[in-house]
Amino acid sequence: MLHLGWFLSFQVQSWNQMWSGAGGTEWNKPQLYVDSARALERAGFDYMMFEDGAFVPDSYGGDHDWWLAAARSAPKQDPLALIPILGEHTRNIGFFATVTTSFHPPYMAARSAATIDHLTDGRFGLNLVTSHNTRTAQNFGYDELFAHDERYAMADEWIDLVRRLWDSWEPDAVVLDEERGIFADGSKVHPIDFEGRWYRSRGPLNVTRPPQGRPALCQAGGSKAGRAFGARNVDTIIAQVNGVEDMKAYRDEVSELMIAAGRDPKECKVLYIVTPVLGETEGEARDRFERGRKAMAGSVEANLASMSYATGLDFAQFDLDAPFPDIETEATQSSLALFKKLAAGKTLREFATSDTRKSVDLYGTPDSVAGQMGEIMDEVGGDGFLISGSLNRRYVSEISDGLGAALRRRGLTRDGYAGSTLRENLLEF
Amino acid sequence: MTTPVDQRFHLAWFKSFTPHDWRSTWSGSEERDWMNGDSHVDFLQALERARFDFLMLEDSLMVSDTYAGTAEASLAQGGYAPKGDPALLASMLLSETRRIGVIATMSSTFVPPWLLARMSATIDHLSGGRFGWNCVTSSENRAAQNFGMDALPPHDERYERAHEYVDLVTQLWDSWEDGAVVMDEESNTYVDHTKVHPIHFEGRWHRSRGPLNLPRPPQGHPVICQAGGSPAGKAFAAGNADVLLSLPKGLADMKRYRDDIRDLAEKAGRDPDDIKVMYIISPILADTDDEAREIQAAMNANVEAGIKAQMVNWSATMEIDFSRFDLDRPLPDDATTNGHQSTLSTFRRFAAGRTLREAFTAYRTEAIEVVGSPATAADTLQEAMEFVGGDGFLVMGPTNRRYVHEITEGLVPELQRRGLVRTEYAGAQLRDHLREF
Amino acid sequence: MTSRMFHLGWFLGNGFGVQAWNQEWAGTGATDWMMPDQYIDLARSIERGGFDFLMMEDSVQIPNAYRGSSEYYLRTASAAPKQDPAVLAGILSQFTDQVGIVATLTTTFYHPFTVARMMSTLDHVSRGRIGWNIVTGSSTYAAKNFGFDMPEHDLRYEMADEFVELACKLWDSWEPDAVLADVEKGVYADHTKVHTLDFEGKFYSSRGPLNTTPSPQGRPVFLQAGGSEKGKDLAAKYVEAIIANPPGVEKMKAYREDIRRRAVEHGRDPDSIKVMYLVSPVFGETDAEAEEKLARRDRAKESNIEGLLAGRSHLASIDLSRFPLDEPLPDDLISNGHRSSFANFKGDGTQTLRERILAHSATDAVHLCGTPVTVAAQMDEIMQEVGGDGFLIVGTPMHRRYVAEVTDGLSPALRRRGLIRDHFEHRLLRDNLLAF
Repeated sequence: MLHLGWFLSFQVQSWNQMWSGAGGTEWNKPQLYVDSARALERAGFDYMMFEDGAFVPDSYGGDHDWWLAAARSAPKQDPLALIPILGEHTRNIGFFATVTTSFHPPYMAARSAATIDHLTDGRFGLNLVTSHNTRTAQNFGYDELFAHDERYAMADEWIDLVRRLWDSWEPDAVVLDEERGIFADGSKVHPIDFEGRWYRSRGPLNVTRPPQGRPALCQAGGSKAGRAFGARNVDTIIAQVNGVEDMKAYRDEVSELMIAAGRDPKECKVLYIVTPVLGETEGEARDRFERGRKAMAGSVEANLASMSYATGLDFAQFDLDAPFPDIETEATQSSLALFKKLAAGKTLREFATSDTRKSVDLYGTPDSVAGQMGEIMDEVGGDGFLISGSLNRRYVSEISDGLGAALRRRGLTRDGYAGSTLRENLLEF
Repeated sequence: MTTPVDQRFHLAWFKSFTPHDWRSTWSGSEERDWMNGDSHVDFLQALERARFDFLMLEDSLMVSDTYAGTAEASLAQGGYAPKGDPALLASMLLSETRRIGVIATMSSTFVPPWLLARMSATIDHLSGGRFGWNCVTSSENRAAQNFGMDALPPHDERYERAHEYVDLVTQLWDSWEDGAVVMDEESNTYVDHTKVHPIHFEGRWHRSRGPLNLPRPPQGHPVICQAGGSPAGKAFAAGNADVLLSLPKGLADMKRYRDDIRDLAEKAGRDPDDIKVMYIISPILADTDDEAREIQAAMNANVEAGIKAQMVNWSATMEIDFSRFDLDRPLPDDATTNGHQSTLSTFRRFAAGRTLREAFTAYRTEAIEVVGSPATAADTLQEAMEFVGGDGFLVMGPTNRRYVHEITEGLVPELQRRGLVRTEYAGAQLRDHLREF
Repeated sequence: MTSRMFHLGWFLGNGFGVQAWNQEWAGTGATDWMMPDQYIDLARSIERGGFDFLMMEDSVQIPNAYRGSSEYYLRTASAAPKQDPAVLAGILSQFTDQVGIVATLTTTFYHPFTVARMMSTLDHVSRGRIGWNIVTGSSTYAAKNFGFDMPEHDLRYEMADEFVELACKLWDSWEPDAVLADVEKGVYADHTKVHTLDFEGKFYSSRGPLNTTPSPQGRPVFLQAGGSEKGKDLAAKYVEAIIANPPGVEKMKAYREDIRRRAVEHGRDPDSIKVMYLVSPVFGETDAEAEEKLARRDRAKESNIEGLLAGRSHLASIDLSRFPLDEPLPDDLISNGHRSSFANFKGDGTQTLRERILAHSATDAVHLCGTPVTVAAQMDEIMQEVGGDGFLIVGTPMHRRYVAEVTDGLSPALRRRGLIRDHFEHRLLRDNLLAF
């Protein structure tokens, strides 16, 4: 069976498009997300994962004009504030919100996550990023980002500290003894006196142990340091690799790293980003897919800007008709490495007009796409897909009521949730 | 013909995201369920039905072990810790209501200004402009240690930092001009980039480049609430706050405090009517005055337990170990705090000439005593407001459904009949409610 | 001619029944149809899309017309099972703020007091957003469930007339200022302003008064679907919105003029009746995609003549399996059910049953097909021609994808042309319906 997630940001989802509805004005209110979460829950999704960033990008063309005009990557609201609302309107689906280990105080993150885990009855997780943009550092009062590998070393220490805070209440610390007037047993709540290289905290946390013990963890790093971090720490990984072979290699590598770190590879689910294009007939879906590809090819600027976003490098400065430039970055190393690999033998223009973000192309009727998804996962060896697409109600419905139903008929997704927490659902199969 | 004077005052409720009522007779399943937030939804909907201005969620960031040098008593009581993050609860509660505001406490000493500006702006958007930030500087070294510091910065420095912090946060909120979101479908332009500005803030303690990565909040600035009673705290509040939680006790002090704040506000170039001073009350209500008095007497009879509870709480907030003191002697002169200074000095004044036992037995957090039938309680509140001049009351009491409904379905209708509180909201946003009268 | 604003309603053609269940995009429709969730999403979506109301059809029997058996209907979940829409209306009212909610209740099967009380209650709990779709019932089997034979068509309308008259009297049995709620004096209601009726009609009697208080709208908004002479008269006399499906722009126009004329005859302002035409727009991301979808749908019809016949048999209470497909239906065949609709279907006798069943739609006044922008333009043009007053979108099978196409694709396109509201000006359904 496949695990399913939806990948999105708390940003303008869709506006000025055919099926946007009131997307231009309702993106920063709860209802669109509540409706979507309920739809995905109907289809048995494991989680919605909210990516995040703490800056207005200006890496492309040296200013923020393009990003703001296009409403791409900015504006973007704080997903932590949205999750409690989504939890209130759902019962089973889980939620990940992104925090940056580089700048979010660990005590604060541990407490927010514990609080949301309680508010959602154990359906919350943190997606950990180390931040890849200088602007983020500057918004938090630093001049520069920490170096790439240092960020991951810091992240290791950060999550170690956060976990100790979650563990600072023993599972049976809350006794609720009304006779003797004892809410919690002080001898079971412990200071942690954490003294690290970058972080310190005395503890204990002032929130009781979260329902999941430790809220779930998610990670998307594709760099070597990132993968190692993921293999050691997280419950689910967001993978952006192209083609079935690389997908399989990625899963195998995560498994090896996990075994090396003393973990059972089944404890971490690798979900691959896809954007299925669905139609009522194969032909209709193919036409849609081709239209999308053409539109993509027509928007060189959007693609260059995305590349600038991912790498922090201004792609406006390069010659479009020269080969892909030979450059290095301190931001997301894996993205740049992937770009370079995919761009081999291509000009920048050629590369910028191809689609690089998806693991595989999926298009067809719901039933045929469901079949393709099953076959791909048979080959890859696990564990599922993360849908990334325009969050308008029509597309959400195509996925949840079309594709979701087809997957269920093929026995490829759950029919009802067996567990009650996010981690239980991730470990269900 | 004279225009009738608007006599109305504001109502709000003060609570923490804690299980503090877990042992009371009417607490239902609260002891187990308090953290899933559902009972808070019912609670806030009741307050909205009673047309309260807002719910204020207090906060702190540590498990106290000051009393007798251990967390035992504090955790046994469950009054001060555990405590969930109030901003997250606020977001959920606002989504289940339409008009009432929620103010959540966040510490200017520990939360990076960018995170606070963004979290509060997000909740203001999600709620259509009904969020407020209770700005505290935090008052416990234990909290500082949780955030990697050895101790809190000194009291007055915290306020200097807070000044700068609020300046930075408001600049982040203002980094998007109103009208920056143009949504021009023809040119496919969502935001006019010329209306979004980096702030390049370089302060003594804080720096941030900006701009914030979301549009200006519906209220422009989410409502700012403050509780300071010290000179530094009052000056800070008079310059920045929309609403003040105030600690003075008795009508004379209440009036003096409010006059003082209004004076300071005017000197800071503000319209004094833009700051609302709210006084804490904990009404004891019953069908008859006699019955209410009996309830009060029964509460007071359980003196020893009450004293212990108060001392544990005070040890937590002051970081002074009250277990060391002889209850039958006065409060020692050398008991000082780097935390809630004005609270301590208020208590010290109150305790002068009394033993600690006497002082704790008599001391109340509430500004005035409100005991009786709804009609009597309404008389008390009406007289107090006539004397003080404004601006309203903050109810602090158990939040079990029975007590909440005594207030919302008993006391409030009586106040409404007298034209003393609103019967309908006039505005849509929290600041509209505060400035309605 | 210049464009003017028109109204939109959603016609839930299969009532609170099984919607999409074994089709693509049906999601969990097969198992969850009896839960309110899908309808809550629908009501909220059309509220976002600026619709006046959601109208829920109803019927109260397991159909048995086709081949004299319930087999087809139950096998395909067509027109049965079906739950009570009045219950759903109460739930939907709590999850919406502005959109109107219209429930179908059959005069022939209820007592006026029951309907008056139910509607008054729903109008209160919805804060004045309830409508009543007045139907007289059409099915023999439904009548038998209530223990009698179906009265003849015209008699049903005569009964309906008296039914509505009595219901109105019940709603008026409390004077508007009868409720004092005077806490000081301890007087809730002034009994001198609450009146007994002692109504004795030809079909119904009731003492009254109603035991509910005057509701925000006083009485629900009335809707009606009559196409017969009797039906049109009843509509012109009482109702505020008419569900109509005369085929083609010319007949649409003529129908509306006829209704407006009758309204004037009853002493009413013709603008106080909105004629709303049933349509089932087909959408695509390109016009070609939509055309292909429509063509696929027509081909599917050809291979499902049984389904079409069963549906039509149910509406007419006539077993159409008895008639040869390649001959016209007999001249003297009339329906005691949906009389005018069946007459329209039969046509003038020049076409065979097969031709008629494939060509004639029970739920489409005109064909609308294309991208949202194209369909918006078609609707604009048709309304300019017809003169008003709006469309009822029929989504069968209803699933969330189609709802999103309408509310998040078509509605914005209509708004850009200034053809539908972009916010609700009023709190009451009646005020919104009569706002333009």
